[in-house]
Amino acid sequence: MINDSVIDRSKDITILELLDRVLNKGVILTGDIVISVADIDLIYLGVKLMLSSVETMEQLKSRRQRIEK
Amino acid sequence: MDKLIYCLLLAKSNHAKPETTLNSLKGVKEAGLVAVEYHNISAIISDVTEKQFIANKQHAVEFALVIDQLAQNYTLLPMRFGSMMDSADSVMEMLERNEVEIEDSLKKVKNKWEYGLKVLCDREKLKEELTAKKDNDTLNFVKPEIGSNNSVYKAYVLKKLNEHRAEEQILSFVDSILVEIKIYLQELKAVDKYKKMTNETTIIDAVFLLDKKKKKEVINMVKDLQQKHLQLNFLLTGPWPPYNFVELNLK
Repeated sequence: MINDSVIDRSKDITILELLDRVLNKGVILTGDIVISVADIDLIYLGVKLMLSSVETMEQLKSRRQRIEK
Repeated sequence: MDKLIYCLLLAKSNHAKPETTLNSLKGVKEAGLVAVEYHNISAIISDVTEKQFIANKQHAVEFALVIDQLAQNYTLLPMRFGSMMDSADSVMEMLERNEVEIEDSLKKVKNKWEYGLKVLCDREKLKEELTAKKDNDTLNFVKPEIGSNNSVYKAYVLKKLNEHRAEEQILSFVDSILVEIKIYLQELKAVDKYKKMTNETTIIDAVFLLDKKKKKEVINMVKDLQQKHLQLNFLLTGPWPPYNFVELNLK
């Protein structure tokens, strides 16, 4: 993160932005994803930013279950 | 043993081979990192010791930190958290199958950082301000006539009409802010993506990709915007690896 007053260095916001990116964005590997939803504290239901991440995790979980069947 | 894939990078974009950097880094659960190389591209991987990978917050952060640190020295494409394959050989085959697409994507993000810009406000307060301003300027809002025999129906219609106009004003205001941001970004030759009115407080949620050397210009842009619009809160985050600018589905 940039050390400048304009950049928000609030830890919570940075973590939310980071998780939003790492869970919802980036290169997708079709058919080889092996992931499970474990720690529910990953998900902040009160924060809208994280809602899409919840959906993504659930989709990944379902996809894994389908692959395993 | 399964392999967790962190990112794909351009191995020859830097004089140092990835191994030099990887020796000083630790992956998820302190696992050692290895580069699987195929021609000009590499995949950074680590062993997954547990049979089933656990997706928790700590692991997601550790995963992101590896990407962030490598992005300081290499042009890379971040993988989505949890991307795994069953062996290094499978990773190599995947690189071989997708070499052209990966190289093309890497070229698009070469020497670029991603930034996030959220424009936040108290929407109700903003609505009141815009309504008051419009009221004074043009008398555009319809006021119920005091003492007249307006029916309940008419009062309801007027209320809805005014609400609709207030909403239109907000949208128009948001568009004007967006135009301002886009003008700045055009000057910086940035590639941008944005969403409007994503929730009650966020009126603009933008991400943009621009040259690594233009960090100061981005900061100045946000400073300018903040000074012009004191009723809004501009939240800039970054620099990030180009998470929002990779649209790649590997087979």
